[in-house]
Amino acid sequence: MTFAQALFMGLLQGATELFPVSSLGHSVIIPSVLHWQFKQSDPTFVPFLVLLHLGTAGALLVLYRQEWIAIIRGFVTAAMRGRITTEPERLAMLLLTGTIPAGILGVFLENRIKSLFASPYVAAGFLIVNGFLLLGFELLRRRAEQRTSPQVKTRAEQEESFAAAERISFRAAALIGACQALAFLPGISRSGVTIGGGLLAGLRHQEAARFSFLLATPVILAAGLVEVPQLFATGVPVGEYVAAAILSGVAAYASARFLLRYFRSGRLDPYGWYCIAAGAASLVLLTFRV
Amino acid sequence: MRDRLAVALVILAVAFAVIAGLYYEGVLQIAVSDSHAAHHITHAILFAVLAVASLIAANFAREKTV
Repeated sequence: MTFAQALFMGLLQGATELFPVSSLGHSVIIPSVLHWQFKQSDPTFVPFLVLLHLGTAGALLVLYRQEWIAIIRGFVTAAMRGRITTEPERLAMLLLTGTIPAGILGVFLENRIKSLFASPYVAAGFLIVNGFLLLGFELLRRRAEQRTSPQVKTRAEQEESFAAAERISFRAAALIGACQALAFLPGISRSGVTIGGGLLAGLRHQEAARFSFLLATPVILAAGLVEVPQLFATGVPVGEYVAAAILSGVAAYASARFLLRYFRSGRLDPYGWYCIAAGAASLVLLTFRV
Repeated sequence: MRDRLAVALVILAVAFAVIAGLYYEGVLQIAVSDSHAAHHITHAILFAVLAVASLIAANFAREKTV
């Protein structure tokens, strides 16, 4: 992998990790479409991905630094007391509840599933499926909006009739966490399924995105930290990879800021249509070797 | 009833802690990608987290005096 390719992959990973369009799918499809020759079985590729993930997790920690301090304090207080009394305490326990199924499924299934489906054709197919999933989430949400607030005119008023992340049930948090396992399929977006799950659980769009980002942080961070020793393997161009990781972090930070602003009134539909179009275009390009 | 649940969760926590130790030492080889590795740190961390989560759940489940 050249330095320019590493930077491009860093930018791609950071931008697509939080957008509901599947970073894994893009990182499988785009090198194939561009006819890049680097092998993902190369021993330096895992350390590269580790650093990119640490960059993304770092960006989320910076973005939510105040909130994470309150969550960690709330977690310790509620765990010691054995009772939840404040919103940060409830959010901390919801995040723990959502992270456990994701962790179990990640440890036992992730590598097996990824190795089964690590083909650009399959990734392009699942990208189309991801698009239909996002459109489906929004379809169900529109029906819920019709039921709960049929008279409301503006999008802002519609969103106000839904809940904040702290109000989600523990069962819903566990289900959203488990839904993250779908993202082991290249082309299915982790943030897409968790934001969609949040919408079905009755959260506002912006709150569903916030819960999705908070839920992703420990998983992405843990996945990166566990693999840190691989960075010290011989032949790893650490300097180049760190530059790509910084770019990944900057892109992730900008993406999260954009998405939180977008989801004040925006919906998942444009990303759904993008995934369908990008998946179909990728299948054509891969099939005809354009 | 709540105290029985709390005791069951503590026992579960101990079981998870033992499994975490066995994975870390490489004794347990169930559902690992590299069965020749000396330590299965990811699996060990997962079961350690489950042990802590079970203890927290036990604390939530026990009868409160205040």
